[in-house]
Amino acid sequence: MLSTLDTDLRRTALSADEVLAIRRRRRWSMLAVVAALTVMVVWSIDVTVIEDTDWERMGSVASVLESAGRFMGVDWALFPDLVKPAIETFMIACLGTLLGVIICIPAAWFGAMNITPFKPLTYPLARLMMTLSRSIHEIVWALFFVAVVGLGAMAGIFALAVRSVGFIAKMSAEAIEDINPGPVEAIRAVGGNGFQVLRYAILPQVLPQILGVIVFEWEINIRRSAILGLVGAGGLGLVFFRQMNTFNFPGVTTVIIAILGIILVGEVVSYFARKAVI
Amino acid sequence: MKAANPVEADRAALPRDLHWQRYKYPESLYSYGAWIVVLSFLAFSVEYLSIPLERIPAMFERMAAVIASRYYPPDIEYVMDRDYLDYVVQTIQMAYLGALFGLLLSVPLGWFGSFNMTPSRRFVYPVARLFTMGFRAVHEMIWAILFVSILGFGMLPGVLALTFFCAGFAGKLFAEEIEAINMGPVEAMRAAGANLFQTMVFGVFPQVRVAFTGIGIYTWDVAFRAATVVGFVGAGGMGWYLKRAVLQIETERVAAIILSIVILVLISEVLSAFARDRVMRMK
Repeated sequence: MLSTLDTDLRRTALSADEVLAIRRRRRWSMLAVVAALTVMVVWSIDVTVIEDTDWERMGSVASVLESAGRFMGVDWALFPDLVKPAIETFMIACLGTLLGVIICIPAAWFGAMNITPFKPLTYPLARLMMTLSRSIHEIVWALFFVAVVGLGAMAGIFALAVRSVGFIAKMSAEAIEDINPGPVEAIRAVGGNGFQVLRYAILPQVLPQILGVIVFEWEINIRRSAILGLVGAGGLGLVFFRQMNTFNFPGVTTVIIAILGIILVGEVVSYFARKAVI
Repeated sequence: MKAANPVEADRAALPRDLHWQRYKYPESLYSYGAWIVVLSFLAFSVEYLSIPLERIPAMFERMAAVIASRYYPPDIEYVMDRDYLDYVVQTIQMAYLGALFGLLLSVPLGWFGSFNMTPSRRFVYPVARLFTMGFRAVHEMIWAILFVSILGFGMLPGVLALTFFCAGFAGKLFAEEIEAINMGPVEAMRAAGANLFQTMVFGVFPQVRVAFTGIGIYTWDVAFRAATVVGFVGAGGMGWYLKRAVLQIETERVAAIILSIVILVLISEVLSAFARDRVMRMK
């Protein structure tokens, strides 16, 4: 079995000495990269784990295990109180994804090189939108929207929507850039206008892919919406934080189980949705 | 009927069921039904969460007003401070370690969790899948909170939270990558009498090496994004500054910190894209 490296070298038909020289050079550069990475590891471990950790507070292994053991057990009495926040979390994720998809439409349209209406302005604008949306963590977005629209589900929906725009728009724009130009030309040739080109030539080609991306993002949004309560945006996160602050550790475990439950529901739904789409 | 257009005349002459439709009778019903169910569920959600739809237009005005009056101008001096830059370096280190340990953990997870290469489909595969899903399902902030409550404040819980997060993230991608390999070399290795480990190292690994490196770099990128906020719950890094500024309602500092996070993430994204490009070209 030849590795990909060997086949690549073979194709260029170099002499054996040249091949060996290239391999040697590659080996040295690999070695340099590995050495740099190792130095980083040692330095990072020294700073983060050895210096920065409060070893005394942590105590012995036994006491760490003891504090971990507090989370064992399930607070069954909490379950009835979790139904409403769980439904809320699920709905926040759904609406957040929907709003994200709506915001995404102009973003993907402007951000695809081949259909962007005015290249020097709209393309960078859409790219900026995508990067901004992806680079800011959902917690930070939620903080911002809580400040703007107040506590509650609305802030969570907006945070999730803005956060999911980046990924959906990026994937959709890439899908649009990869389309087969044949149908576009065909629609243009029979006199279709811009909207008709979009509707009959581009959309049918990219729709299955985009729907898959949306379902994927929706699944992630369920995970995200479960923590938005930490900053006051409603749902299970709020209950989680309340249990944590009252040191009801079995309750914390219960909330995590509930989160896993709704994620499982999401996964099942997304499995069927994906099968239906593709 | 005039039938001036021969094409129209032809089409009218066709039997009814030859008209093209994406979905035929029973499927069309299912597809409409699915749309109706989804849309009515979304409408019901709006109702259930009692979202004041009529307030949304006014909100944009308010948003602009809030940004202009409170978050602008960002307090740039605050983020150029020496202490803050130290925290930035720590965040990078935390992300690096978390990604590294997570990747180390995710290689066996990917191996055992790939349906074609797992040592035992009945026992090991579901267990590995369960672990990958569990790591992924719990959000990194929840991992951070749990580890902070067990180990105390500091960067160790942050590193561990990122480790778990990255293990789930990369484990799933690794497993998918292994499932997509060409089985020829693997079968050849097996036929030549190689054991499980040898098949993995010589049959599978050369095929996925480049993809794994790409995924690894991407994982670091994602871990860095997560690392900027795990400090929010006391797990080290610049998130702690963010939390402090938020609690003190120093909005101009918050704006500066968010700005610094965006710039750092942009830099890391560019670096990761560059590194992935290099790795792909080495292929």
